[in-house]
Amino acid sequence: MEALVRQGVDTIFGYPGGVVLPLYDEMLNWPQVKHVLVRHEQCAAHMADGYARATGRVGVCLATSGPGATNLVTGIATAIMDSIPMVAITGNVNSAAIGKDAFQETDIQGITIPITKHNYLVTDVNDLPRVLEEAFFLANTGRKGPVLVDIPKDVFIAMTDAPFPDKVERRGYKLAGAPPVEQVDVVAKLIAEAKKPVIIAGAGVIWSRSWESLRELAEKAQIPVINSLLGLGSFPRDHELSLGMMGMHGEAAGTLAVQEADLVMGIGMRFDDRLTGNTNAFAENAKIVHFDLDPSEIGKTVRPVAWVEGDLAESLKMLVPKVAEKRHDEWVAQVKKWQNEYPLVVPTGKFLSRTVLNSLNQHAGAHAIFSTDVGQHQMWTAQFIKFTQPYHFLSSGGLGTMGYGFPAAIGAKFAHPDKEVWAIVGDGGFQMTLQELQTAVEYEVNVKICLLNNGYLGMVRQWQELFYDNRYSSVEMGSPNFGKLADAYGLKYFQCSRVEDLEETLKQASAHDGPVLCEFVVEMEENVFPMVPAGKSNSNVIMDPALTNGEDYNAVHASWETGHGRRVPGAESEHTSDDVYASGTVTK
Amino acid sequence: MSDVKLPTHSHAISALVQNETGTINRLVSMFRRRGISLASFNAGDCEQPGYSRLTITVNGDDSVLGQTIKQMEKLIDVVECQDLAPDDRVMREVALVSYYPSQISREAVLAVASEYEAKIEHDTENCLVLQYTGPVRLVEKYLEAMQTFPVREIVRSGPCVLKVSDQ
Ligand SMILES: Cc1ncc(C[n+]2csc(CCOP(=O)(O)OP(=O)(O)O)c2C)c(N)n1
Ligand SMILES: [Mg+2]
Repeated sequence: MEALVRQGVDTIFGYPGGVVLPLYDEMLNWPQVKHVLVRHEQCAAHMADGYARATGRVGVCLATSGPGATNLVTGIATAIMDSIPMVAITGNVNSAAIGKDAFQETDIQGITIPITKHNYLVTDVNDLPRVLEEAFFLANTGRKGPVLVDIPKDVFIAMTDAPFPDKVERRGYKLAGAPPVEQVDVVAKLIAEAKKPVIIAGAGVIWSRSWESLRELAEKAQIPVINSLLGLGSFPRDHELSLGMMGMHGEAAGTLAVQEADLVMGIGMRFDDRLTGNTNAFAENAKIVHFDLDPSEIGKTVRPVAWVEGDLAESLKMLVPKVAEKRHDEWVAQVKKWQNEYPLVVPTGKFLSRTVLNSLNQHAGAHAIFSTDVGQHQMWTAQFIKFTQPYHFLSSGGLGTMGYGFPAAIGAKFAHPDKEVWAIVGDGGFQMTLQELQTAVEYEVNVKICLLNNGYLGMVRQWQELFYDNRYSSVEMGSPNFGKLADAYGLKYFQCSRVEDLEETLKQASAHDGPVLCEFVVEMEENVFPMVPAGKSNSNVIMDPALTNGEDYNAVHASWETGHGRRVPGAESEHTSDDVYASGTVTK
Repeated sequence: MSDVKLPTHSHAISALVQNETGTINRLVSMFRRRGISLASFNAGDCEQPGYSRLTITVNGDDSVLGQTIKQMEKLIDVVECQDLAPDDRVMREVALVSYYPSQISREAVLAVASEYEAKIEHDTENCLVLQYTGPVRLVEKYLEAMQTFPVREIVRSGPCVLKVSDQ
């Protein structure tokens, strides 16, 4: 406990059991650390993760041996894939019983080796102060990640006078030094030569707190900025150089810009396959430049012509003064033309997930924290919520963990009691972790749940529709009566299935002081576009059919011209009656 | 005897690692997970208490090698790690071969063994054991020669490598 307090930990998420009894007993003596009792250990890990993503600080979770520890596994794997700072503490059976198949013994160290940045089994209490200090240090420095500390029951009980180290030193762990000037110079020169540059900014920009430098760089050399999914918020979406998200369901303008660009700068991102599509055809006309903290990411999936290893906080600061002021007006005009030609759209006349999220964006997009689950609603959130600040978008990108969204929102709310926090979840994923409703009610965690109920495992259904000839197999998903469920748990519930009620529902949900479940009964068969089919080149991006099939729609742009969406130049303008959710946009 | 060059796609990596519970497990797990196939893996104590020096040989092109080294360096236990080129290293392997004396011509076997300066390590009615230490390619030639007789068992240690360059 002393170790946790030393680290400034104010909240831990956990679940007790036999071997952690000594720790739970000791906890009573440390009122400054709040323990949140969850309903499933997986959610303790997701809450710690949500807490970390919303603050940039280490999230802490705790579980007992055996099943308690294995229940953490999905949450730890989620965290490693997205480089989230987390310390997971597990109890284990007495040291003497380890290896003897004792009751509730499991080799959690062995199990979590591939999904932790590092892990420990502490067999001597004198090592404990050092190990805990190291665990926090490793989790929160360099490329961040989860660290697990497995502590046998007898070690919990034993006393030690061993001091906490003043400084963590591991010969095998060196933090990146200053990036080589020559490498930075090469990049500055490439920028000077480029005619059609783009930046793809990832979560590394957020974790290194270098969003200011990114913005300076983009503005100085007038370079459009695309975000990876997890990079959303590192560059303000309402900035005129912002192109939104890149990737399988990225906005078309960004995808096309990368394919057309002569210089693509990946900054704090890892050229993940969901972003690059087929790597052989990725950015075919471009020189690729890569900035990353982790040397093993450089050249892992694409081959850059130049790269800068090291902390972005240093490398970007070095780069900005070396870059000359520059304009790419023609290129930016071309990119904007694509934006106008292939906007995100909300078809009118139906009650769609997009209808809800577009409205939610206008309602709370500018200030709230949003966590998502995984599926179609996740992609629509990334598209329609116009993130302008870091630490406001929490989503399982790398692992794609259904069940993540709701507990992560709870974790974020514990970190930011004063902020509005929305969990955007699907009917499928919500049913994986909805037992945490009890946690939310009990601790009076004021999270707003936006449940987009389409009656399907929507993302899987979309693939079956498009790539398996409409043969739906195990994607129809029944749900409980969510109103009764909310009643049973004792939280506020709204149901909404009409555009007319949308605004009022969101207003009341925000105003309510306490957790709220808002169920939006949306169109069942709605698809996410644009879409790059898996493994295909980004040039094969499929645009939203609504753009060409004569359907009525509202085009939705980020808000730099009108505050909420933007007029499409050239389109005959005629305001719809649905201005509520499409203000400033036009109907085709 | 001068060291022999391995085929260009085989690399000998020497690594210094801090010993903790799980260290070897962590390394091997990383190799398996990333689909890096190991030709050999060798670990033992070294001059620094609490640390081990490993020799790992992997097959693959330069990009596989580059990833292997970067992924190894990323592990918290790995203090240093480098691919040692033939000129920068001494690399040796031990091979033990046993025979049922009744099944062989002792003179013929010992004649071949002495060509390689292999040593007799065990010599009883039922078992003759010969030990040879040398560069990997010679170990292979030696074993080929020794297998012209009906062997009982063969075991190879896998190569051990030591840096000799000045840096
Ligand atoms: C734990 C887990 N199981 C399975 C999947 C595969 N999967 C990805 S999206 C999806 C459907 C999600 O459905 P729902 O939560 O209703 O969201 P929707 O796509 O309908 O918005 C599934 C099953 C996953 N990502 N995670
Ligand atoms: Mg669904």
